[in-house]
Amino acid sequence: MTFTRRAVVQGLGIGMSLPLVPRAWGQAADLTTRVIPKSEEPLPLIGLGTWITFNVGDDPVLMDECAAVIGAFFEGGGRVIDSSPMYGSSQPTIGYGLGKLGYPKQLFSAEKVWISDSGEGAAQIEASKNYWGVEKFDLMQVHNLVSWEEHLPALFDMKAAGRLRYVGITTSEGRRHREIEQVMATRPIDFVQVTYNILDREVEERILPLAQEKGIAVIVNRPFRQGDLIRQVEDEPLPDWIAETGARSWAQYLLKFIISHPAVTCAIPATTRVDHVRENLDAGRGILPDEKLRRRMAAYVEAL
Amino acid sequence: MSEWATYTLADFLLFSPRVYFRLVERYNQGLWPLQLVFIAGALAILFATATDGWRARAAAMATLALAWLFCAWQFLWLRYSTINWAMSYATAAFMLQAGLLLLAIRWTQRGALPANSLRRRGGIGLMVFGSLGYPFGPLLAGRAPASAETFGAMPDPTAAVTLGALVALMPQKLWLLLPIPVLWCAFSVLTLLAMEDAGAWAPFAVILVTFALLLVRR
Repeated sequence: MTFTRRAVVQGLGIGMSLPLVPRAWGQAADLTTRVIPKSEEPLPLIGLGTWITFNVGDDPVLMDECAAVIGAFFEGGGRVIDSSPMYGSSQPTIGYGLGKLGYPKQLFSAEKVWISDSGEGAAQIEASKNYWGVEKFDLMQVHNLVSWEEHLPALFDMKAAGRLRYVGITTSEGRRHREIEQVMATRPIDFVQVTYNILDREVEERILPLAQEKGIAVIVNRPFRQGDLIRQVEDEPLPDWIAETGARSWAQYLLKFIISHPAVTCAIPATTRVDHVRENLDAGRGILPDEKLRRRMAAYVEAL
Repeated sequence: MSEWATYTLADFLLFSPRVYFRLVERYNQGLWPLQLVFIAGALAILFATATDGWRARAAAMATLALAWLFCAWQFLWLRYSTINWAMSYATAAFMLQAGLLLLAIRWTQRGALPANSLRRRGGIGLMVFGSLGYPFGPLLAGRAPASAETFGAMPDPTAAVTLGALVALMPQKLWLLLPIPVLWCAFSVLTLLAMEDAGAWAPFAVILVTFALLLVRR
């Protein structure tokens, strides 16, 4: 991964001295990985989402908080950071954090194109690259299927030209699953991003099996239903039997359920807190529940 | 079920309440003590609205136009748009409203409503609420005083004072002057509700009072 630091600095209007040499952070060795089916490239099961949490405008205190989250994420062995032009200032915030950290070389950048006029797609991707400070993205996804029929051919062309590594599509909260299936079945995409958590399991029926059949990597968004799931269960006791997996909190319980599905490549919980990003990453360590335990986990939460 | 039916209010919120109110606090700190000048400006508009002179009415419309321009440029464009991309559209709408208020200088020449009319008194009451009541909003909503909203600096009290002045003066082409401030208040209600902020009642009350006053016969 190569970066254009100058673009980030110009984009943010900051003139501080930033380290120029890409650094390797953390130890990913104990973080469980799963391979991207089309390339066999391994990815840690826990990534970092940025919806709402990284949209902090130009607030220097909050930008530093986000940079600290990114730092802890890489330190813990994380790789995948996901964002979108729709997420307000999340892209420049990521660029700020990456610049401050010296552009960790293990970054796997996952971005989206989100514009109905497909003719403007290339310009939007260029702007996103400038915000992040990267020369190319690892993964470019069509956000919420917006103009996907027009965007996908352009993204495949960019991939063929070596201007990005993977192509994907996204949806969230169970919307347009039929269309997602259609794209998965008929287009050579590398990734699909969907909502999946212990209470929203519709994708288990068709989309996750189809992803396995077609060799499509799966990124999972809204693992905590934007925090609602945690708030729903946090006052309840964690069952003793989950200890065998190493889960020590509800966040880890909920994440382990998601990433233990064999079709899932990576879950992308978002947070503004360093302790939470570490806790999330720890869910990607230790034992993953088997099918029997997964059923028990789901039944336990449904009964709460 | 339509795809739109799957959305909730919170799905449209791009930022957290903490980020939004910190943005307002930092904006206020940067402006201080200009807010006092703005409140004085609002009171001057109120006084002008209460008098019957056409020059005073024209000055009120011009001052309101300036307030909309300042909000558009300083708050919506330079601050709020950093966390909400939709604010570039709101900025354009606010500038359009400023232009309409300048045109309304001509539309207020017919003379104001009788001083004792309910509509005029109600409009002035709305202006008092927008200029002097709004800054105390954080106390009721349980927020930091630094997040106080003042006329001219923030859109909600600017819309409240404007609606009050329009109802009190009843210029010609009122139908052209009302939509943007009313729509902004509605947008603000939805945003504050999505943030679960108690301040949502304020723009809601402004809309209700405006329409109630428009419905009264005198």
